[in-house]
Amino acid sequence: MKFYGYERPDGSVGIRNILLVMSVADCSEPVARMIANGTDGAVAITQHYGCIPGQMVANTLIGVGENPNVAAVLLVGMGCEGMPAHALGKMIKRSGKPVEWISIQDIGGTQNAVTKGKQILKGMSEKVVGLKRKEFDVGKLIVGVKCGGSDTSSGLAGNPAVGVLSDTLVDAGGAVIMMEPIEAVGAEEPLAARALNEEVKKKIYKMIGDEEKRWSVPGAQMEFMCKGNVEGGLTTIEEKSLGAIHKSGSRPIMGVLENSDRLLEKVPEGGGVYLQDGTHMEPMAMSFMAAAGAQMVIFVTGCGGTFGHAIVPFIKVTGNPETYRRMPQDMDINAGTIITGEESVDSVGHRIFEEVMKVASGKATLGETLGYDNFSVFRADPRLEALLNLSK
Amino acid sequence: MKRALMMNEKDNVATALENLDEGTLTGVILPSQELLKEVTTLQAIPSGHKLAIIDIKKGDNVMKYGEIIGKASQNIELGDYVHVHNVTSNRMQMPEVWYREEE
Repeated sequence: MKFYGYERPDGSVGIRNILLVMSVADCSEPVARMIANGTDGAVAITQHYGCIPGQMVANTLIGVGENPNVAAVLLVGMGCEGMPAHALGKMIKRSGKPVEWISIQDIGGTQNAVTKGKQILKGMSEKVVGLKRKEFDVGKLIVGVKCGGSDTSSGLAGNPAVGVLSDTLVDAGGAVIMMEPIEAVGAEEPLAARALNEEVKKKIYKMIGDEEKRWSVPGAQMEFMCKGNVEGGLTTIEEKSLGAIHKSGSRPIMGVLENSDRLLEKVPEGGGVYLQDGTHMEPMAMSFMAAAGAQMVIFVTGCGGTFGHAIVPFIKVTGNPETYRRMPQDMDINAGTIITGEESVDSVGHRIFEEVMKVASGKATLGETLGYDNFSVFRADPRLEALLNLSK
Repeated sequence: MKRALMMNEKDNVATALENLDEGTLTGVILPSQELLKEVTTLQAIPSGHKLAIIDIKKGDNVMKYGEIIGKASQNIELGDYVHVHNVTSNRMQMPEVWYREEE
């Protein structure tokens, strides 16, 4: 099975051809936006943990810059950051793609930075805009699977249908990443039963156990499920988790990708299903999956969700027929036909697979058409990690 | 007949696929669409919410997907509405309030 993508110098294959203007901290974000504004294919992103955000944030930004959907990167820094633009830029440059950086202080303020940035971006655009898509095997695809705004339809219809997609993709040689550390609490056994070996099994239990500790600190009330989950019929975290893991399909779990201050592990060559440590919170989880190499994310929702991501297309699937009826302009796939008895889980799963192949070759998702360009980054608090003795 | 879906043969609850009024005779089906049994609801059950398909004693495990989703916090009868009022998690308890509105 083939799709048409953009070949990158490091051998990876992009499904989009994005010019990324990356502000290394939120103080320089307005300048990054001014630079990106008006250039086709350019998108500006930043992170909101200040100018000394720590290694986990740096890992994410570097991984996002290296993602194959990104054709070229212009980094924008104020100049006085603890995590400077040139340091991240040098790391991203190892991927072989065009990477440049500017410092607003060195260049002499807003106007000069915007002028210089636009000039650099124009040069980059000329280099990459004419790139033609070429044919690649489906084995080059890495697809993230995520759910959010779940109700009981997610576990009965949306996630099982995406599970069929996961199996189909993995059988064809592709890779699937699932990031649901908290929404695996109570579902350890069925996940561990799929572990490739004892080492992977141990890592699955550890990842989920650590996340349970973070969200059950005595004296701190933490909201690990939302009101919509309960109104949608989900009673406990175990029920939510057992429904959520369906989307990873049934094939062996090859590994748990480390995602810590030490390392953001990427999806290795060779395909298969991987769990990735991180967070269940959707836009931030998508940035992590993008940093690990995912070119696309499938999002399963019961209640509905209207967002996307700056660098990875986002296919939205709902298992709730009422949600599809209310929000057809946002939901790419109606899996509610399973609930109404009109269609089988397999049939919907194959429909999603066909959509994945089209989106990989350039078809815009509804979210892309609407212009969604969410970008946010998650940081595990190093103080909590240390206090709970979870530091890697 | 209105339908409720039982995901695994070990389960003691099924999920309503449409809104069920109190006293509704409901067909419990498997994912294969095979009709397993008929249950009359003891309360109204909203679409997507669960009903007991056998009696569940206080302290017994509540099963869905063939796995444990929690524990019955009171006796639950065949046809009862099953949700946060009569099931608790074995792992993490739900927060009491999500958002405190100012008086």
